[in-house]
Amino acid sequence: MKAAQTPHKKEVPCVFGRPPQLPITKIIRLSAALLARHRRCSTPTAALSLPPRVCSLRPESLSCRLSTIYSWHFTGKTKLCSVDAAMATTKPRLSSFSRNLSAVSSSQTPGVKCGPNGTMFVSSGIADLDKILGGGFPLGSLVMVMEDAEAPHHMLLLRNFMSQGLVHGQPLLYASPSKDPRGFLGTLPSPASLKHDKSRDRESEQEKGLRIAWQYKKYMGENQPNFDSHRDNKQDYCNEFDLRKPLERHYFTRQRVNCVGIQDSKNLAALQEHCASFLAQHQRNDGSCALAGRIAIQSLCAPQCEHSNMDWEMLSFIKSLKGMVRSSNAVVVITFPPSLLSLSSTKRWQHMADTLLSVAAIPDEDKELAKLLSGYQDMVGLLNVHRVARLNTQVPLILEATTFSIKLQKRRFLVLECLNQAPVDGSSGSSYGTSGSCSGSSKAGTLDF
Amino acid sequence: MADTICRTLRDGGLEGEHAPALTIKDSKASPFGFDVFNYVLTQLSNYILAGKSQSRGLVVVAYSRSPSFYVDLLKRRGIDIASSHDWIHILDCYTDPLGWKNWLIDKDISQEASSLSSFCQDVRNLDKLYSLIIEQGKGLIGQGKDRFSIAIDSVSEMVRHASISSVAGILSNLRSHDQVSSIFWLLHSDLHEIKFTSVLEYLSSMVASVEPFNQAAFGQRVDLENLSMLEQNFRKGKFHVRFKRRNGRIRVMCEEILVELAGIKFTPVLSEDEIINQRLLPKVQFNLQLSEEERNERAKVVLPFEHQGNGKPIQIYDGRRSLGENKEEALVSTGKLQPDEDSGKGQIIYFRDSDDEMPDSDEDPDDDLDI
Repeated sequence: MKAAQTPHKKEVPCVFGRPPQLPITKIIRLSAALLARHRRCSTPTAALSLPPRVCSLRPESLSCRLSTIYSWHFTGKTKLCSVDAAMATTKPRLSSFSRNLSAVSSSQTPGVKCGPNGTMFVSSGIADLDKILGGGFPLGSLVMVMEDAEAPHHMLLLRNFMSQGLVHGQPLLYASPSKDPRGFLGTLPSPASLKHDKSRDRESEQEKGLRIAWQYKKYMGENQPNFDSHRDNKQDYCNEFDLRKPLERHYFTRQRVNCVGIQDSKNLAALQEHCASFLAQHQRNDGSCALAGRIAIQSLCAPQCEHSNMDWEMLSFIKSLKGMVRSSNAVVVITFPPSLLSLSSTKRWQHMADTLLSVAAIPDEDKELAKLLSGYQDMVGLLNVHRVARLNTQVPLILEATTFSIKLQKRRFLVLECLNQAPVDGSSGSSYGTSGSCSGSSKAGTLDF
Repeated sequence: MADTICRTLRDGGLEGEHAPALTIKDSKASPFGFDVFNYVLTQLSNYILAGKSQSRGLVVVAYSRSPSFYVDLLKRRGIDIASSHDWIHILDCYTDPLGWKNWLIDKDISQEASSLSSFCQDVRNLDKLYSLIIEQGKGLIGQGKDRFSIAIDSVSEMVRHASISSVAGILSNLRSHDQVSSIFWLLHSDLHEIKFTSVLEYLSSMVASVEPFNQAAFGQRVDLENLSMLEQNFRKGKFHVRFKRRNGRIRVMCEEILVELAGIKFTPVLSEDEIINQRLLPKVQFNLQLSEEERNERAKVVLPFEHQGNGKPIQIYDGRRSLGENKEEALVSTGKLQPDEDSGKGQIIYFRDSDDEMPDSDEDPDDDLDI
């Protein structure tokens, strides 16, 4: 059987996944036939099948990775005929056959990515957070971050969010209770220098050149370079920010950044005005996506603001803001310290949010925690994802893990990692379930995530 | 740990950072907050006099004690008052906070104290108070890059005359002022709603709370059994401090207090199991990520079929070795020779059950592995 050649096209939809009953050579013949047939057609296709048990990687991760390269992925049992039919039509068949739209990004607007269900995403500035939230912050949503009164980690999130917007040229409205909000712009991080980017690109290229224990290379070899070339052409959707390098001043010109101080005003009317006029510039017209906008409000119920004891005023402000942002191409991020609000107010604010995150401080030199978690030394704090925005759909996003540790790599780059259990010391003979940290802490009020 | 607090206040804040702020919190169960306040005040004064601290002056906003009290306190601690004009100033909000005594002549205050203090006669106007404090502080340190510290006698008194948000406003403004090196204040937590206490904790970088020595004994009837425990509460207490460190973590420390006539003594706590820590037990997963070494090891694993597609002719391992390899193996171990030669000599004859069977179905898929 000679290796089939496919014409060089930009996007190559592929099918993979081996139905257990079909022998390998049959699949090869099928793919060869398909290739031969489609050579005559205008739509290029290529079929790739791999027997899962031969793969040296875990099948789930394999399918996830391949699905980012190929725009169709298909798993499950089928017969030859339905594979044919599936290739011919776009309707999903017996098995799950879904189109990965996340791989396709809109080339017109940098920094905006199309997602499922007609939503569009902007990056949060932290690549790990984008992954956790399924693409980023959806346009038109309200993100609320619950601060911890004891640690300023919400500022890290805000800084990355604001920098990402400025790097992509998206207008920004920033409100803060400090006397000089504009001064905060000086602490925004700059995208990491090229050296670091290159090493990451090499890593990702290595991943793209997947090592799969299957003889597909002889059929697929010429298609691989296409996928790598995509990445250099457009701007990165999410930059990696170096927290030690301040953002260049030319990014925050007056047109792009508007800073509002909320400490001195009697109530929230002025802030509401600012937000309304900002969002009016980013109205969502059908289909086309002009430049996306970002609003960042820091510590909305800070105690030095006069409106901080007007519970219902603040609540109605948030509600009107949420309504305005729904019909615009913008994302609003509000941070607030829940310890300064009454319990019922906190609950109401939490219900307002589309995406709800919270940051928590961790105790220093805590031996129990060091025993429990690996990488405790590098951890700066904890991030909890309580709710992820799901617009235009009723299907919730259920995360495997909701608590992540915030770490600073090389003291510069913010990463979020899953909490991993530290290796249990086998010699001591105590397992995780019986060790003191688990049972002994019940007296001190555990917070179960 | 009180020394750690004093050292933090002494070192002050970095450029562009908010000044470190300390809240000293007590309650009627253990009312030693003021003693702690005096201790911190004298320590800081000593540092300033010795020139070891970042701040060169101290402004004391006295709400609950008269300025003469502070003068006496410093005298008792051995600090020379006569030459203290250039580093300490007391803002007197105690004598006449609301401006009732319009005919005030400073006969109520001693000569020494009046030279060090100035009146504030309208504590309701916190903006004015703010500018007064800054003015006095600048007066102490003069022009230049120097800084001064602020001690507020009792924030509980301050909030009697003003709203919570204005008190929070003045405190945060003071903290963020360029020339303020450090600030500390006293709070009686049971006089206020929890909200006010949490506001102050939010605004401060260190929270020191004084708690009763025997928690259980407080509030009970005086009996012979718990008399000794109650008595202990009258002189001893526990001192808990929560530091917000620059790296974003919280440091919790604990000490014991003993109050004597001469002052207050801090001793390290003897038993460790009383330390109350808020424990977070998140749902922890097993580590499914690879470290750098593990990634390198994985990269070294030889996978089947990897060498294909390189342009070389493809050979698929089909379970039988060539004769050349056989001979090499024979040199290595003779024991293995027998089965190999048998496979060469013997034959396995297989009759298909039916002719419908596809010729490939009896193939072991693993035969395709090509390493």
